[in-house]
Amino acid sequence: MKNLLKAQDLKAYYRLVGGTEIRAVDGVTLQLRPHEVLGIAGESGCGKSTLAAVMSLTHNPPLRVMDGLIMANGSNLLSLPPEQVRRKIKGTYISVVPQGAMNALNPTQRVRNFAIDMLQEHHPEMKKSEATDLAQSRLTDLSLPVRVLDSYPHELSGGMKQRAIIVLSTLLDPKVLIADEPTSALDVSSQRSVIRLLLTLLGEGIITSIAFITHELPLLRQVADRIAIMYAGKLVEVGTMEEIIFDPRHPYTKALMGSMLVPEKHVREQRIEAIPGVPPDLKNPPDGCRFHPRCPRRQEICSREEPLAKTVGDRTTWCWLMQ
Amino acid sequence: MTMLKSKFARYVLQKFGWYLVAFFIAVSLNFFLPRLIPGNPVRVLVSQLATGGVQSDALARIYDNYMREFGLDQPTHIQFFRYFRNLFRGDLGTSFMLYPGKVSDLIREALPWTVALQIPTILIGWLLGNILGAACAYKGGKFDAVAFTLALAVSNIPYYCLAIILLYGLAVHNPIFPVGGGYSFGNFPELSLSFFLDALHHYTLPFLSMIVVALGGQAIGMREMALYELTTDYVHYSKALGLSDKKVIRYVFRNAMLPQITGLAISFGTMMGGALVTESVFSYPGIGSLLFTAIRQADYPLIQGCTLIITVAVLLANFLVDIAYGYIDPRIRAAQLGER
Repeated sequence: MKNLLKAQDLKAYYRLVGGTEIRAVDGVTLQLRPHEVLGIAGESGCGKSTLAAVMSLTHNPPLRVMDGLIMANGSNLLSLPPEQVRRKIKGTYISVVPQGAMNALNPTQRVRNFAIDMLQEHHPEMKKSEATDLAQSRLTDLSLPVRVLDSYPHELSGGMKQRAIIVLSTLLDPKVLIADEPTSALDVSSQRSVIRLLLTLLGEGIITSIAFITHELPLLRQVADRIAIMYAGKLVEVGTMEEIIFDPRHPYTKALMGSMLVPEKHVREQRIEAIPGVPPDLKNPPDGCRFHPRCPRRQEICSREEPLAKTVGDRTTWCWLMQ
Repeated sequence: MTMLKSKFARYVLQKFGWYLVAFFIAVSLNFFLPRLIPGNPVRVLVSQLATGGVQSDALARIYDNYMREFGLDQPTHIQFFRYFRNLFRGDLGTSFMLYPGKVSDLIREALPWTVALQIPTILIGWLLGNILGAACAYKGGKFDAVAFTLALAVSNIPYYCLAIILLYGLAVHNPIFPVGGGYSFGNFPELSLSFFLDALHHYTLPFLSMIVVALGGQAIGMREMALYELTTDYVHYSKALGLSDKKVIRYVFRNAMLPQITGLAISFGTMMGGALVTESVFSYPGIGSLLFTAIRQADYPLIQGCTLIITVAVLLANFLVDIAYGYIDPRIRAAQLGER
């Protein structure tokens, strides 16, 4: 199966004044396959939003890509000229639902005018009325009120604003949608409608795949086909939703599952356990496996050498216990 | 669309109402404040005559005559009513120092000079300042370092200091421009090319002394606002969807302009006061010079007339700016009308 988007040995560091580097993404290889929702999860500060920024090609200084490739259609997007990426990729092949979605719309512009600007940017020949019609019919197809177009952002509720943004992001039928914490600022019922909208877009074939970044594992239980768990800038375990949620292998994944209030049968009886310790400082991450200082099952080798990837079926784990 | 239009009309009407109230209060203060100054201006006027050796009963008659002439023999509320009535007839009273010259005529002569000096200075300074500020924020680097430092230095020079420096450097030391006045001695205002060129020659220094300061101040404000706007979520999002820099800058510029429009209103207010000093330094025949002379001569009707004009100008400028603000920013319109 051909990948829609692939990060290959990706290293992206924040370079601070004085030359210090924060290794937020440090050697990640991850594929986004067609027709899937890929969940990317981990604690705050594990590098998942950084990964999302680089995969959507929206990274800005001080964040720099140090090494690695972002492959799509056989070419490395990171080596393309920025102007070509802007015209041919952004909004049309890869689109985003941003983390700060509450303020993602220009406060002094009607939603309609942003839709027109965005459509005309990629189709200069399109008339304003055609652009409006397109946005209108898309809203109608998705059973959203057309009045959204005539509104200013401050006139929309949080949930409606987020759904409006999702519609705007997908107006040009992008293949890949990278959603960074798209529901984290919303109440439960708005969360549900945002999730339903994303799944509808996928079902209708308007978009082909979603990379869904979140720290809420229960949410991924509902939407994700596959889940990648990140820790301290590296992947620790990637597998199908069932494998990760019901049968975690990596001690960190297990600890993460154990610290969640998930009403699944097998965990319902268990005590909620916090993960001891704190995530490492990414300016100076530990040698070997980055989780070893907090790991309940660490061995002698864990502090010396980085674990190699071990793939069984759909699941890949980076842990010495699996070797 | 008609609903949206009427919303805007309501906003304008509401604003107009508030400014009418503000105008009434300002005009009332304009009436009462000079009357709070201790001493009777007519007595001062008459006592000046007394030094000329005029008989005391004649003085008393002159005094009564002046009191009637200026309407000061009436109770305060009648004076207040008359003041308003005369105001709406365009009658601002009679000047003491240029008796029997009408205040309205004196102001009519002086006003075009001030307007011609102030409006272009404020508008051009504001526009160029904003463009410079936005360019600093967007380009960054060396351009920003040089332009920003210059703007910072220039905007902190008091405009009267700059006026005196320019006067010394370009009129006294190197007599390129005239030292003062609105036009050459012996020339008189008329619609001719030679008069226009002469007036322009006199115009340059006062214009420069104010525009440089105004430009610097606006540039600094705009740079800060634009830098802030460039880091906002909507800029990142628009870029993530592939919008061109040109379009994104248009959003940023418009949103960063909003506080700058307040800056424009404030500069209208302060510049009107600033005219007093600038016009004095360059002996420019505008409202500022007129007011300055009026204050020195304790010419109350003329002071009142000048302050009235300044008040009206500031209120009008602020009103127009409020309307522009409501037009540009929907959030302000909504907040003012109590909507969400």
